[in-house]
Amino acid sequence: MLGTGLLAAEGASPVALEVLPAVTSAVVFLVVLGFLYVKVWPIITKGLDERNAKIIGEIEAAEEARRQAKAAQAEFEKKLNEAREEATKIVAQSRAEGQRQAEVARAKMEQELQERLQRATAEIDGAKRQAIMEVHDQAVSLAAQIAGQILKREIKTNPGDQQKLVEESLQQLAGSRN
Amino acid sequence: MNPLLLASGLDPLHHVVDKPVYGTAINLSVVMLVVGGLVTMWMLWLASRRIATGPASEGNERYVSKGRLAQLVEVTIVYLRDEMLTPVLGAERTRRYLPFLLTQFFFILVLNVFGLIPMMDMQTIVKHLIGAQPPPGEDWVFFGGTATASLSVTGALAIFSFIVIQAHGFKELGVKGWLEHLCGGHDLVAGPKALWLIVPLIFVVEFMGLFIKPAALAIRLFANMVGGHTLLATLLLFGAMALNAGMGMVGVGSISVAAVIFAVLISFLEIFVALLQAFIFMFLTAVFISTMSHHDEEHEGHEEHAHAPQGAAGHGHAAPQAVPAHSPEAPA
Repeated sequence: MLGTGLLAAEGASPVALEVLPAVTSAVVFLVVLGFLYVKVWPIITKGLDERNAKIIGEIEAAEEARRQAKAAQAEFEKKLNEAREEATKIVAQSRAEGQRQAEVARAKMEQELQERLQRATAEIDGAKRQAIMEVHDQAVSLAAQIAGQILKREIKTNPGDQQKLVEESLQQLAGSRN
Repeated sequence: MNPLLLASGLDPLHHVVDKPVYGTAINLSVVMLVVGGLVTMWMLWLASRRIATGPASEGNERYVSKGRLAQLVEVTIVYLRDEMLTPVLGAERTRRYLPFLLTQFFFILVLNVFGLIPMMDMQTIVKHLIGAQPPPGEDWVFFGGTATASLSVTGALAIFSFIVIQAHGFKELGVKGWLEHLCGGHDLVAGPKALWLIVPLIFVVEFMGLFIKPAALAIRLFANMVGGHTLLATLLLFGAMALNAGMGMVGVGSISVAAVIFAVLISFLEIFVALLQAFIFMFLTAVFISTMSHHDEEHEGHEEHAHAPQGAAGHGHAAPQAVPAHSPEAPA
């Protein structure tokens, strides 16, 4: 019998040490170990490692993306603040510039008005002087004419006529003024 | 009532002990070892195909294990590796010894579970159905039984543990360190001379321990398998015992019903024991490997496990590594 009992009665005791089961156990275990060592464990280990690496990679990528998103958000907020400050500055500058230009325009306009006024005043004064001179000339001329007529009347006519002549001359002078 | 038990008279051990295959000199344990080995290889090979990363065309789905068997195997492996072995052995040694330890675990598990399937009883029923008439003293069985209920089988498996443990010890500690380990460790050998008196005593104990540890592995597994099946067989024999004692039908029926209920409950326990004993065999092998390691290299990368031993850390000192608090390490 291959399964020879070594210690206990043959086949009767569970503690019997037998050669064939022991050798079979060793051989089968070695075969199983060898097969699994070559064909199974490397594949399972590789699969688990790859999955582990994938999960770790995904987590790291997610953390990196979050970090980048945070940095981008901070950058965006910084730029937004800068843009706001810039806009505020530009608005203030525009306002100041507008105010300055308005002041300049007003000053220019006032100056122009002043100049026009001065020109108009000068023209009026010129015209006035011209008119006065013309009146003066006419008055002189008329006076000379009247004086000539008076002198002629004094010689030819009576004193009544002389008086009448003076009055007519004065009326003519007043009419010429108008 | 279990037909094989009834056929065996009132000897519960008859159901448990290894028997020859009908008409041959080959033991059933031999057949079950071969069958168990083939099933282990086939099952794990199948699982490995489904755990492996798929083609890139599958996208992220290629990283997902397909099928319940693959997921069960994967969860078991990841749990044993990350929660049980790495805290004891450290990451590098776990990677080195994982193939051996997992092979032990799954091989023993398959053999244990096969023992829970009543294959021999089914054959006995078939024998009665076809009217086979085996010679007196022989059982009409061709396969079945618990291979790990044979001390020869568990002893051979334990020899591999012994070889791996000692090979690791020599490789890790060197001959001098290995001898120092047997003498109580470097701290004791290099310590006060007064303590040298106990070195011979420690040497004897440690040297015996080299063989006792794997022997304990073998006996523990064997005894648990035999004990559980013997208990089941005894429970199922209560009915026949009552019948032999001349009890009435009510008594026999009541005892039989109660025995079957208890047997069912014990069977659930047996399923758990089958798993537990496979785990303990593998885990204690890992613990014994760790005892033959440099203490200062333990737990690399696993500082989070607060159960790391805080004792002596001298070179060559081979203190047993701490065992996770939730681990079911049974004393030898």
